[in-house]
Amino acid sequence: MLIANGLYKNFGGKPALADVSFHVKRGEIYGLLGHNGAGKSTSLGIILGMVMPDQGDVTIDGISVLKNRSKALRKVGAIFEAPAFYEYLSGWDNLKILMSYSGGFDSEAAGKVIERVGLTKRVHSKVRTYSHGMRQRLALAQALLPEPEVLLLDEPTDGLDPEGIKWFRDFILNLRDERGMTVLFNSHLLAEVELMCDRVAILREGKRVFEGSVSGLQDDTPVFEVDLAPWDSACELVKSAGGEILTSGRISLPHAADPAVIVEALVRTGIRVRAFSPVRRSLEDLYMEILNGAPSPN
Amino acid sequence: MLFFQQLRGELRKLFARPRTWMGYGAFIAMEAVILAVYKLERSQRYMKGMLERNGLEFGTYYSSLTITFTIMLLSMFLLGSIYFALVAGDIVAKENEDGNLRLVFARPISRLRLLLIKYTAVSLYTFSFVFFVGVSGYAMAVAAVGWEGGLFVMEPKMKVFAAYPEWWDGASRLAMAAGGIGLSMITLSSIAFMFSCFKIKPAAATIITLTILFVDMILQGFPFFKPYESYFITWRMSAWVFMLEQNISWPKIIESYAFLLGLNISLFTLGWLSFQTRDFKT
Repeated sequence: MLIANGLYKNFGGKPALADVSFHVKRGEIYGLLGHNGAGKSTSLGIILGMVMPDQGDVTIDGISVLKNRSKALRKVGAIFEAPAFYEYLSGWDNLKILMSYSGGFDSEAAGKVIERVGLTKRVHSKVRTYSHGMRQRLALAQALLPEPEVLLLDEPTDGLDPEGIKWFRDFILNLRDERGMTVLFNSHLLAEVELMCDRVAILREGKRVFEGSVSGLQDDTPVFEVDLAPWDSACELVKSAGGEILTSGRISLPHAADPAVIVEALVRTGIRVRAFSPVRRSLEDLYMEILNGAPSPN
Repeated sequence: MLFFQQLRGELRKLFARPRTWMGYGAFIAMEAVILAVYKLERSQRYMKGMLERNGLEFGTYYSSLTITFTIMLLSMFLLGSIYFALVAGDIVAKENEDGNLRLVFARPISRLRLLLIKYTAVSLYTFSFVFFVGVSGYAMAVAAVGWEGGLFVMEPKMKVFAAYPEWWDGASRLAMAAGGIGLSMITLSSIAFMFSCFKIKPAAATIITLTILFVDMILQGFPFFKPYESYFITWRMSAWVFMLEQNISWPKIIESYAFLLGLNISLFTLGWLSFQTRDFKT
């Protein structure tokens, strides 16, 4: 549905993107992760035609953004971290103006979307009186009004309270489930990305350093948190079973190894087993490993 | 049809901003001051002397039309230019500064079309504002001296001197001249608009525009530049006064407005080229 192909971009001679490619499938929620300055926003800018790439192209449903931006963006809605509406106008007027750029304003459709995002009571108030959460709801309304097939989310939950974040997440997941919407999700909130995304790409210094499915994170080598004594003897036994010592208190075992058998062997050799529990490898662990080359310190 | 919907939205934004209305308030105040000066006995005496020296009757030409002409002559370049530069300098640069353009760029609209909408809105604002000044100035003058009387025109810089004893002749000429001022002022807005399309702050766009205008006016006043006065923007912008000449010289007027039209197109194109090739980073 959305294909970024070999994107390169330099700002003042400094590379912002170098050969970044990704493919967001129809109905998929795809996360774009990375530090500040990793190239996430530049990628999003190129997708929306705000930034011209030095090389490469983006196609949305087969239409090139570079060659035919207007046509390509007809099926796209976007939400930004701090959506800058016209403060001196009402939410309703903002929607009218923004929709005039998307082929026209339909007040009936707008009413339905506003009701869906829960902004009916305040839509005729000036935007300057809105809270951050209300602005995000209005941002969602403006993004959904053109009935997009692709939704681009740039740090949409930043600054929201936990309740707002959950509401937003559920809303997006519903959109995907009900309408099969394709979503590109750019966020720093790794837990959110993990809860929402099917696949993720990690960018570092303008390069894509990882792409994979979120569920696939658990398919890697099983990791266990252990408290064993004496530690040296335990390490020898773990190694002889094909395992690896990651840190003091953390080991990994090969897929074939049965943890129960290892625990039994440890006990049998007189090693005290105070703790032996599997560690769920989070996206944060993976992120930290990739970006820092080391596991997250927890 | 969609263009008009987009234009309506642009005008809605323009007129919802307090600074757009500042000009209206300032002009009403300025008109009141000019009227108050006109009502002073000393200025009436001065005007009477000037009219009688030219063989004209004070009773006929001390009128609402003459006062309206004076208001438009005095206020447009000095005060009007500030507000036109302010509004046109803001129209793109302010939206970029505030981040509104990000939301607009998420829409399937081309940059050229967006600029055309904004430029049309600014031009309409400029043109209609001139008529507002004319109509409000006339209404206030009528309240002060009555509606009757002719029109007396004296503009030494452009060497225009005319007198219309009949109200209808004077009013129709003044209305035509107001249209000319409106067209002239679009050039000023075009300069500010072009700078607004550049990667600069809105205030910078306004200040640079006013600088260009005032430098142009000052240089034009130097005797050395007298043979070249027709190359100055402000001289061309003053061509509206020719519409008040007893015998209108259309070739002279058309030449000036063709010059301004060409300039406007060039300014828009330069602004568009800058806007089109810029990256708008999120």
